[in-house]
Amino acid sequence: MNDFILSGLIFTPLLAALVVLLMPIRLQKPMKAVALLGTLVQMGLAILLYFRFDGAALSNGQQGYQFVEKLNWINFSLGTLGRFQIEYFVGVDGVSISMVLLTGIIGVIGVISSWTIKKNVKGYFLLYLLLMTSVMGCFLALDFFLFYLFFEFMLLPMYFLIGIWGGPKREYAAIKFFIYTLVGSLFILIVMIGLYTSVIDPAATAAQLGLLEKGTAINANAIAQVQQLLQQNTINSAEMVRTFSIPAMMEPANFIPGSLLHVLSGTVLWDLPLRFIAFLLLFAGFAIKVPSVPVHTWLPDAHVEAPTPISVLLAAILLKVGGYGLIRIVYPIFPDAGAYFSVLVGGLGVLSIIYGALCALAMNDLKKLIAYSSVSHMGFVLLGLASLTAEGVNGAIYMMFSHGIISAMLFLVVGVIYDRAHDRMILNFRGLAKRMPAYTTFVVIAFFASLGLPGFSGFISELLVLVGGFSAPEVTGLLPRWLTIVAVFGLLLAAAYYLWALQRMFFGKYWIFPELREKAILTDLNAREYLMLVPLAILALLFGIFPHLLLDKIGVTATGFTELVLQNGQEQLHMVLSSMRR
Amino acid sequence: MNEQAATLSESINAIIAGAGSLLPELLLAGFFLLLVTLDLFKSKSIKQLLPWLAATGLFATLIIQILGGYTSGGVQFLNLLRSDGLARFAGILFSGAGIFTILLSLQNRQLEKLEKGRGEYYALILMLVLGLNLMAKSINLLMVFLAIEVVSIASYILTLTLKDNKRSVEAGLKYILYGTLSAGVMLYGMSFFYGLTGSLSYTEGNFWQSLLQADALLVTVAAILVFAGFFFKISAAPFHFWIPDVYQGAPMPIVALFSTGPKMAGVIIILRFVAAFADPTLAGVFTDITLFLGIAALATLAIGNFTALWQRTPRRLLAYSSVSHAGFLLMALLAFGTNYTSGVLFYLTVLLFMNFGIFLFLQIAEEELGVQQLENFEGLGRLYPYLGMMALLYLLSLTGLPPLAGFMGKLLIFSNVWEAYTATNQGMLLVLLVVGILLTGVALFYYIRIPYYLFFKRNQTAENLVISLSNKLLLGFFALPLLVLFFKPDLLLHWIETLLAQTL
Repeated sequence: MNDFILSGLIFTPLLAALVVLLMPIRLQKPMKAVALLGTLVQMGLAILLYFRFDGAALSNGQQGYQFVEKLNWINFSLGTLGRFQIEYFVGVDGVSISMVLLTGIIGVIGVISSWTIKKNVKGYFLLYLLLMTSVMGCFLALDFFLFYLFFEFMLLPMYFLIGIWGGPKREYAAIKFFIYTLVGSLFILIVMIGLYTSVIDPAATAAQLGLLEKGTAINANAIAQVQQLLQQNTINSAEMVRTFSIPAMMEPANFIPGSLLHVLSGTVLWDLPLRFIAFLLLFAGFAIKVPSVPVHTWLPDAHVEAPTPISVLLAAILLKVGGYGLIRIVYPIFPDAGAYFSVLVGGLGVLSIIYGALCALAMNDLKKLIAYSSVSHMGFVLLGLASLTAEGVNGAIYMMFSHGIISAMLFLVVGVIYDRAHDRMILNFRGLAKRMPAYTTFVVIAFFASLGLPGFSGFISELLVLVGGFSAPEVTGLLPRWLTIVAVFGLLLAAAYYLWALQRMFFGKYWIFPELREKAILTDLNAREYLMLVPLAILALLFGIFPHLLLDKIGVTATGFTELVLQNGQEQLHMVLSSMRR
Repeated sequence: MNEQAATLSESINAIIAGAGSLLPELLLAGFFLLLVTLDLFKSKSIKQLLPWLAATGLFATLIIQILGGYTSGGVQFLNLLRSDGLARFAGILFSGAGIFTILLSLQNRQLEKLEKGRGEYYALILMLVLGLNLMAKSINLLMVFLAIEVVSIASYILTLTLKDNKRSVEAGLKYILYGTLSAGVMLYGMSFFYGLTGSLSYTEGNFWQSLLQADALLVTVAAILVFAGFFFKISAAPFHFWIPDVYQGAPMPIVALFSTGPKMAGVIIILRFVAAFADPTLAGVFTDITLFLGIAALATLAIGNFTALWQRTPRRLLAYSSVSHAGFLLMALLAFGTNYTSGVLFYLTVLLFMNFGIFLFLQIAEEELGVQQLENFEGLGRLYPYLGMMALLYLLSLTGLPPLAGFMGKLLIFSNVWEAYTATNQGMLLVLLVVGILLTGVALFYYIRIPYYLFFKRNQTAENLVISLSNKLLLGFFALPLLVLFFKPDLLLHWIETLLAQTL
């Protein structure tokens, strides 16, 4: 079973990057070819993984990962405080498989879209490929340290890609992006340190204690025995093996009694249990990436200034790391706080939906409109997650995938008009349908897919999230019903801003702003643009008409995740609150 | 008469018995004398030889320190110096710093052109490293004072190497004034301790036990006075004022040495000084002193990071960055009850490589490309991609971002502080932890300004200079450990642990 396919996925672009690094600067065409080849191989592996992945296998975040690779990486003694262990630990489950597939596809589309880059080609593709490695690593890592490494390493290539190849205000946008995300990752770092000093790896500790003979397979008995000993506080701290493993962090039985993040620690800071504070810090860190109102302000700037392919990557896959982090790390590790703060998370989601849509309605710049529509759509991810119903979580994951495909299309479409007219203000164009009929067709497809027309993948995801949200009051009792009702208005607003933009720019009599007339050569789509837009349109339709293609893969995991989080959440919430009162 | 003779021969025996443990220092002293003597000859070929001779001396010391085995059967040198694993590891770092300084000096045009005093420059580097070794070994307050003074005097003269430069003279003068002031204050504090305990052996348990009987306020005041001298050496607030001027005026290799050597030695002294607080019987007694250290760490972190934001020259920016690193180290020293020593030593090792790397980059930028202000970096990263990439690497490591060793160093320190907070529930530790982590965000803001100019701006006057191969190799040499120590920190940590386990 284990053929290192995941390592292949992560390191193929890195290998391509090394090749690009060694090539002399004047070989620009071959460089592009190498980048394309690297991402094509990555996509091929992603598709292969998608077909080989067994969607029916039970997994809930704690167990059931497939294609797992686990290698000892960093391991040293902390003296009386036991050992400290970082592993190269990767695996897929239903949540990550969708993101891996998405990353593979968008990586190739991005390279095709980058074909016209002229400035410093070598540097560009080097950074691009590094970015692809780190994004893929993020989606596959199951060790918090490894995840954090890839998460931080996304910043730097992105900073340079925006700052060097971006638009007129690129430097400001790049710095803003960097600072926002770095502050977010520092919040995550604080919690990461708190977690790994509190959590032991039961299997490794069993080996350390001699409960497990070297070489023998890890068995559930030994693990249960270690966890029992740990909770009875009978393990000497010098024998403990502290770990960054995310699955280990999900089990409350692995927390060292007396450590600050233990369910029963009773530590209180500003009248909140420390676990809740940790949840809020992690949530803030990932919410910046999602992005959720009110920490979304870096996004419109970054999008507007970034070159088209980088906008595509940013919207389609980088934003997903935020939602993915919430599902992979925040909720399963702190289910108690997740249950406690569900109204906050859901409320921020709904706020993002409405506020993002209202902002989109007010924009005159087509790219900004789409950037704000991203904020609005990512709000659905938060809402679906906060509902903690099987439908809601399925919907949230589906939304991340579907938004990845559709937003890539949207930004490509904006890039097309910007390439030709060097302008993308909505009011500067009218009646483009007459001049560019094929282009208009794709714009209509992208807009309708995004606003949730039945038949497109966006519809499925919004439907699932809303069903989850509406059933939440009965099933989980976590969200008030009015919140979901408000969210529905987001759909109406989406229809409004898309259709209004369509009407103003594409329909009516052909007219373009006089100053643009000389420069603008409004030819219709060329072959390269078809090559990018057609597959994306097909994918949006495919996953809209046959949702089971993806739901079969993610369903079992999403349901298992929901049950686990909900059950642990209620139990632990009770424990946390009661230990606080003591 | 006979009695005197008896004690005299006893002392001589003790000196001879303990001398073996001072092999590295004796070697350095020997090479120092050799250099000073050879410097008297007028022959040019001999003068050309001096830097290499100094490097040989340091290299021989380094090898001896790495191999070890020169201890003299558990004897401490007259209860003044202790050659334990801690001192040995620190000594390795000091020898490394000395060698790197010489390598940087050989690449430095200003120093190459220097007519007078080249021999004494290299001799003084040896002297300084010798002083650093004594600092790390001192277990007696008087010895601490002497060692610090050896380092200080060598530092004053080295700052003034470029006597024709006005800034150099200004820097030297400020340095001497601050240095003598803080030394005086420290000596005053030490006299309090001697008066209270009748002993100067500050690492021994009964020194602190007898302080328990003394007036708590007086002990705190004495400790604060003594810390003045230590803080001066590690450039912690409020004794950091000399830093920007000295960094602006001294030759670049010497700046790199100051940002590492004395800082490391000062940290080791403080480490030995506060190690007594980890003793459970003393825990909770000297809380005022730990509180003072915590506040000093906070102030150093805040001043270093925020002042760096307004700096316009790279030298001053790095000066304040060096202050902020002192803050991190002070914070690390407060994580009692954890094995913070190995974390601190790891951080110091990383600091050695990244500081020498970034100052070498700055030296190249100043001498070859005429960079004086941050704006002068414009577009250089595009013209010289290798130089730019190396600078980026060092700066990211200084900020503490993965995948570079600076991140590992900070992670270890933060983990220890968290661990100590879990054990003691001292609110100050949590504040330090959170402030320390969040200031990393501020740090990014000023460090990133250099790559910002390097890569985002365009240079109008494109001259195509060639950067020498030796410079390129050196840049790579300093960068390599930063990557290796990120991916395999356990290699170094294992070694540190084995060295620390060795008691004498």
